[in-house]
Amino acid sequence: MTRKTAPRGRSSLTPFYAVIGVVALAGVAFLVFQLFGKEQPVTQPVEVVMDQARLNRVQGISVGRADAPVVIYEFADFQCPGCGQFASLVAPLIKERLVGSGKVRYVYYDFPLIQIHPNAFLASRAGRCANEQGKFWEFHDIIYGQQPNWSSERDPSAQFVRYAAQAGADAGKFESCLRSDRFAREVSESMQLGQSLGVQGTPTLIVNGRRLGSTPSYSELERMVDEAIAGGAAAAPPAGDTAAANPGESAAP
Amino acid sequence: MSRLEAAVPASPGEAQGQPAAPVARMAVAVLSLLGVFIAGYLTLYKLGYLGVIQCGSGGCETVQASKYAYFLGLPVAMWGIGAYSALFVVALLGVQPRWANARWVAVGLFGMAAVGVAFSAYLTYIEAAVIHAWCRWCVASAVLITLIFLLTIPGLRRAR
Repeated sequence: MTRKTAPRGRSSLTPFYAVIGVVALAGVAFLVFQLFGKEQPVTQPVEVVMDQARLNRVQGISVGRADAPVVIYEFADFQCPGCGQFASLVAPLIKERLVGSGKVRYVYYDFPLIQIHPNAFLASRAGRCANEQGKFWEFHDIIYGQQPNWSSERDPSAQFVRYAAQAGADAGKFESCLRSDRFAREVSESMQLGQSLGVQGTPTLIVNGRRLGSTPSYSELERMVDEAIAGGAAAAPPAGDTAAANPGESAAP
Repeated sequence: MSRLEAAVPASPGEAQGQPAAPVARMAVAVLSLLGVFIAGYLTLYKLGYLGVIQCGSGGCETVQASKYAYFLGLPVAMWGIGAYSALFVVALLGVQPRWANARWVAVGLFGMAAVGVAFSAYLTYIEAAVIHAWCRWCVASAVLITLIFLLTIPGLRRAR
């Protein structure tokens, strides 16, 4: 009896198992595509004109040799989780290996997505207030690391002051900067610069005048840098001279 | 027998004294599996394996970047994977003739779904009243768990 009913029971469940199988396959395919299927834009960067007039409108915050053969511009938003991931996973390697070896000058520009990130503009101003005291990159690491703790606050100013103090900045000076309108013009112009270069989301990287369509991994970025260096100075845009043309551009450690 | 279950033709097993696999429980299994993938997608994003989340608006990023995206030290989405996986496994067992009428299956599914609905309601409230942003994937998950909860009710009646 059991031997007869078991196969029948299984057959009645066959359509159900088929549905489960289809859903499972579709789900796995979706996740695999999301994980590995979006590499193509990285390999198809868009050439952008990094002319001096555009770059002179606003100064980025840079680290690395002024005469480095490759310049990486990052347009980022402190409230953007993707930027936070990039800041914690890729940026430290850029600074340690590519900037440290003299291959790259890394320039940070603000691109706060103010329509969807209500604290992003203030955070960008806070970054520049920290930069005023030479503590941008320290503040950069802390504010990204603490992103979940201030993103949904109505007014994260007090937290930013605390982060600035942790970064080694003078809290009083930082707070008076943050409470004023200082650097609002710079942040706005940084956003306009990004828009003029076709930046639509964050983080967006421009490597020697080539705007990347998606966020690369460190190994992809390293490969692009090595290829640009192997390709010679012809690959380097006028941006390589930006630091000299922009004496105010900070060369933070 | 509930109306949902009445829609299922009696299987040969039921004709011979074995209970039919309830359609409602099959639906719970399928929806739970969908939930595993939604929670998996959000977890991959939260852990940094996806650069960008497919959202259509910035709401997903805002919600995922908030402190409410963590619960007891783990991303909320990761708890979702565990909860949906548990629902899926128990529902899968519950469609087998051997356990179709088992009380522990019915009560287990109902209990887990009830906790899930309550937690999902809390998260939806947070999105609406605190974060002021909507994550479409989170809303989809809230709809899924609500459907799952409703679908576990017939099994509970049947197991009495």
